Amino acid sequence: MTSLLELHNLTKAFFGIAAVKDVSLSINAGETLGLIGQNGAGKSTLVNIVGGVVHSDSGHMTLSEQPYTPRIPADAQHAGVAFIHQELNLFTNLTIAENIFISNFPRMGVLRTIDRAKIKALTGELLASVGLDIPSDTYVERISPGERQLVEIAKALYQDASLIIFDEPTTSLTARETERLFAIMGQLRAQGKAIVYISHILGDVQKLSDQIAVMRDGELVACEPASALTIKRMISLMVGRSIEQLYPKRTTSPTTDPLLTAKNISASGIVEDISFTLHKGEVLGLFGLMGSGRTELARMIFGADQFESGEIVVEGELVRKPSPRSSIHNKIAFVTENRREEGLLMSIDIANNISLVSLPEFARSMLQVIDQRQMFDSARETANTLQLKSGDIRQQPVKSLSGGNQQKVVIAKWLLSRPSIFIMDEPTRGIDVGAKYEIYTIIDRLAAEGSGVLIISSELEELIGMCDRILVMSRGEIYGEFTREQFQDERILRAAFREQDLPMMSVHDGQAKRD
Amino acid sequence: MSILDDRLSSAHALSQRQATKPRSGSPIRRAIQDFLLSDYFVLYLTLFFFITAAIFFPSLRNPGNIANQLQNMWPLLAVAIGQTFVLILGGIDLSVGATMGITSVVGAIVMAQTLDPSFFDRSPLWGTLMRPEGGVLAGSEWAVPVGVVVMLVTGTLIGFLNGYAITRFNLAPFMVTLVTSTFFAAFALWLTQSRNISGLPEAFLNLGKGDILSIYLGPKLTSDIARRDILSFITYPFVISVGLAFISQFLLSRTVFGRQMFSIGTNRRASEISGVPGKSVITRVYMFSGFCAAVASIMYSGRIGFGQPSLGGGNLLLDVIGAAVIGGTSLFGGKGSVRGTFFGVAFFVLLSNILNAMQLSPFVIDAVKGVIILLAALIDITRTRLINREQRV
Amino acid sequence: MKRFSRKISLVLFLALVVLPLTFTIVSAQEDITICFGFQDLETEFWVAGHRAITDTLREQGVEVLEYNANEDPNRQLEQIRECIAQGVDGIIIIPQDGDSAVTIINEAQAADIPIAVFNRPPNDRSRGITVVADNVSATEQAVEFIAQKALRQYEITGEPITPLILVGALQDTNAIGRRDGFYNVINRYNERYPGLFNTPIEVATEWDAATALANLEAAITANPNVDFIFTSSDFLFPTIRSVLEPRGMWQPMGTPGHVLLAGLDGDATACMLIDEGYVDGTGVQNLFLEAQLTLDRILQAVAAGETQPNEVLLDPGFALTAGNIHFQRSDMWGCVLYDEGFLNQ
Repeated sequence: MTSLLELHNLTKAFFGIAAVKDVSLSINAGETLGLIGQNGAGKSTLVNIVGGVVHSDSGHMTLSEQPYTPRIPADAQHAGVAFIHQELNLFTNLTIAENIFISNFPRMGVLRTIDRAKIKALTGELLASVGLDIPSDTYVERISPGERQLVEIAKALYQDASLIIFDEPTTSLTARETERLFAIMGQLRAQGKAIVYISHILGDVQKLSDQIAVMRDGELVACEPASALTIKRMISLMVGRSIEQLYPKRTTSPTTDPLLTAKNISASGIVEDISFTLHKGEVLGLFGLMGSGRTELARMIFGADQFESGEIVVEGELVRKPSPRSSIHNKIAFVTENRREEGLLMSIDIANNISLVSLPEFARSMLQVIDQRQMFDSARETANTLQLKSGDIRQQPVKSLSGGNQQKVVIAKWLLSRPSIFIMDEPTRGIDVGAKYEIYTIIDRLAAEGSGVLIISSELEELIGMCDRILVMSRGEIYGEFTREQFQDERILRAAFREQDLPMMSVHDGQAKRD
Repeated sequence: MSILDDRLSSAHALSQRQATKPRSGSPIRRAIQDFLLSDYFVLYLTLFFFITAAIFFPSLRNPGNIANQLQNMWPLLAVAIGQTFVLILGGIDLSVGATMGITSVVGAIVMAQTLDPSFFDRSPLWGTLMRPEGGVLAGSEWAVPVGVVVMLVTGTLIGFLNGYAITRFNLAPFMVTLVTSTFFAAFALWLTQSRNISGLPEAFLNLGKGDILSIYLGPKLTSDIARRDILSFITYPFVISVGLAFISQFLLSRTVFGRQMFSIGTNRRASEISGVPGKSVITRVYMFSGFCAAVASIMYSGRIGFGQPSLGGGNLLLDVIGAAVIGGTSLFGGKGSVRGTFFGVAFFVLLSNILNAMQLSPFVIDAVKGVIILLAALIDITRTRLINREQRV
Repeated sequence: MKRFSRKISLVLFLALVVLPLTFTIVSAQEDITICFGFQDLETEFWVAGHRAITDTLREQGVEVLEYNANEDPNRQLEQIRECIAQGVDGIIIIPQDGDSAVTIINEAQAADIPIAVFNRPPNDRSRGITVVADNVSATEQAVEFIAQKALRQYEITGEPITPLILVGALQDTNAIGRRDGFYNVINRYNERYPGLFNTPIEVATEWDAATALANLEAAITANPNVDFIFTSSDFLFPTIRSVLEPRGMWQPMGTPGHVLLAGLDGDATACMLIDEGYVDGTGVQNLFLEAQLTLDRILQAVAAGETQPNEVLLDPGFALTAGNIHFQRSDMWGCVLYDEGFLNQ
């Protein structure tokens, strides 16, 4: 059997941080390769290189023994590489047939008009081959996510793809649609197509794949036959070595005074019956896979989103109608997941970003005139505490800062309002290791000063490195609670994947179990 | 290098410089870049146009002409400042023209000293608020102050309506203000049956054209000076608009309200998560815009001498939004200044003056005006791109 | 970067070099300068009015400064102030409305510059030179001509004539004057020849073609035996045609079933329709006479050093009919436009 696609020593770095490090891999025709790894392990970057979306810094690829250097996604398409994304790439306002032929309409006659009859006939055949019984002139907006997935596959078949990459294809599918997808994948494999299957559902990966490649921190740590791997082993390969030195030693221990208590928070389809307590001086981790409801929960607690039932109690007082303003009044800070969209005013200077939350505090008189000197002094002082590296904070726009320094501006903005509760959603996403360490130090100091910190992260190591306690969320519920002595990455991951019997099932009042 | 440094002495330019890589290229190109990047660019451009044109058309140099152009700027400046606020917020207020029309009518209904039955007997207000003996407060000493207050309140209320609809129902500002604009323009016409309401008190007319300080250039030959030789300099509109400009600039740069406006215009989601009361700020800004339109309406109505339902129609909206944008206010929000808008207003007023002096055929004059505005906008885009390039790290 | 900077230089070049060059088209200096401010050039009537003034002035060697206010009285006020600042010798305006005319006249007279108002009279005619088209008189002349024809028809057939009038927006003094003129003639003839005219049918138009169409359709359906239609403005002739034609009532003169048609204004379409025999006559403002009257008076004031001339000049208008179109053609602004191919543009 000859290999269809070979990757040789591919390396890709973004802003100096390696996303893919020296990866070599091959895949044969008629074979399915499972690709697994934690968020940020480099899976997406790797397949994006294959799909022509990003270009590798070094290394090379061959496809059917020919050099393969896709510069744009269309190159990959022509070479027979199809890419079926997590978020589907169909035009919902066009018909199925138009979507399939969008980049290459069959033409006829001198006028090169679109050959509708031919399109119809061809689409019929293609849809039949993926088992989809819908008229080809149906608008895509009217069909289900599962059916759209099949249309994507039909499109790949039309382009005569020899390699089809599936990136988390089942996230939006029902169980039945998933079954149908797997059946089609089986057929494709029988027809001699090579398939790359990326998924967080390790059971599926094991069932579907011939080979499984495991990535961690941009490196390929294993590529073994599926039959030789257990799910347990896959998880430990994904988690890898211990990384203690990346985190500062915690200086204090949490107290038992409750700061913030969530009681039975529910919002249908998003989170269900969530209860937990954050204590003074505690760093509480909230772990979960993408879509587990962790970010949504954080937003509800802060009041950025609404929930349907449940209560939030801050320092013994019930919060009537949580809103960002009431939360700020209650001394809660919220470092959002995405700095650009919800954290910063990118084109505005650093000082005004830092003072945004506390603006009313600098206001004097009826007219709400800002005491400029005090405002700039406070902003500067806070920036200095965080060792922000920048030019004049009154002039330099935030967008010209590095990711780590931007994150510091977000934290500074909240620090200035002297909060006692910090909710941080992915506080270290997209920043380099050095800046991460500084952020961790800040978190430790906040806890040491008596604040409560709730960290949401999809990087398990960082939670293990920093937290006193970790809650695991899965499908909108809290599915496990781990205290420091129970920290064991495999067990936590298994809880997140719902792969196992838990040390403690559905925790309703975490604080009771702590002591 | 020292010349360059002088040019760069404004704090703004300095900031750009600190945030940038060292510049490359010839000194000439650098000089052009600095010129383009200056905050005063629009002013330079306007003065350059005007001075060049004045060489060929002596009538432009006439002190009377210059005094006139200054007077023409004031009402436009007032309404453009309101629009600037809305644009900074990332919105747009298309209803300023109609707001001016309806406030003009409402003010005249309060103040008119006599009303001609043959014009107004079909008005829905005839016999109640409008009578042959005049408007609501005809003849009263309170007519002018109350009329002015009623006008300002009406404008502010329309702004509130805009702001409320936009924030409460999450509608596009473009749609909301277009609808209020159509509604109030029609309402003004209905109230007056398309008639102007004349017979306004002298004290009100003064708000539109009254001189406070005038200038006479030339020898004193006779005891009385012809009216045409007296140049208006400081007039009521001057005081009103310049006052409004200073207050606006203060609001914008020195108050919580101003900072919150910029933050919402830059990123509303981030601002609201940071506790900025988005809905309230947005509503207040539209109210301010309505207020400014009413101020402009007072000046225009006073100058023309009657309440005019069609006031603010026609091309005025182009001048208002155009002046703000030429002055550096971004249509996408988060960027703008009162000073820039002042320059933009000067640009529009002097451009009209120049084109008139050129005596182009009336059939082509608007086309030429359009081309020049487009050119100025192109230069501004080039400029913005240059600034962004400079700031990229 | 290279391409980008080339773009900058192109834009700069255009802005800094080409535009100032266009300023160099300097007009010749003449002795008398008249400022002419008008409102718009969007209807043929105003195009003709504008031309009548500028051509006549230039023929006499007067320099004309033209200002188009685009229907904005405030802008017109600014423009007239600009004229005053430039020290023009006289001002002629076509104002947007009677109120702004008053304000502008005051502004000019305060600066000691003679001013005349053309075609749209100010509300207060005591100040400034005002040329007024006499709507009543012009309408009477046109309707008189039709009434003569109707009388002849009545004498032959003995059938009374049913007249119909398309009335303008009655807030408009023009519309009122035209309606009054129409009734004056009808009543006069009915006094002298009782039974000649039935009670006229009134059709409201609000000066809007769509409204006119709907109301006229209804009126003709209710009274299919209308013999004579008078429209308060010629711009409605196409509307009348679209109502009459499907009913077989759009016939040229001398053909059985011809409906007597008359109007007011005398635009190019009316001129064409009179030529073709469909329309019997139209009352015409003597635009050229008005222009001449205005100019003569303002130039006289300039020459005499009168700074605040006040006078109302009347234009009686005339009826343009199939009978006189040959020799009065050149006085009729619509025909001048028509003959120059205005309708073919």
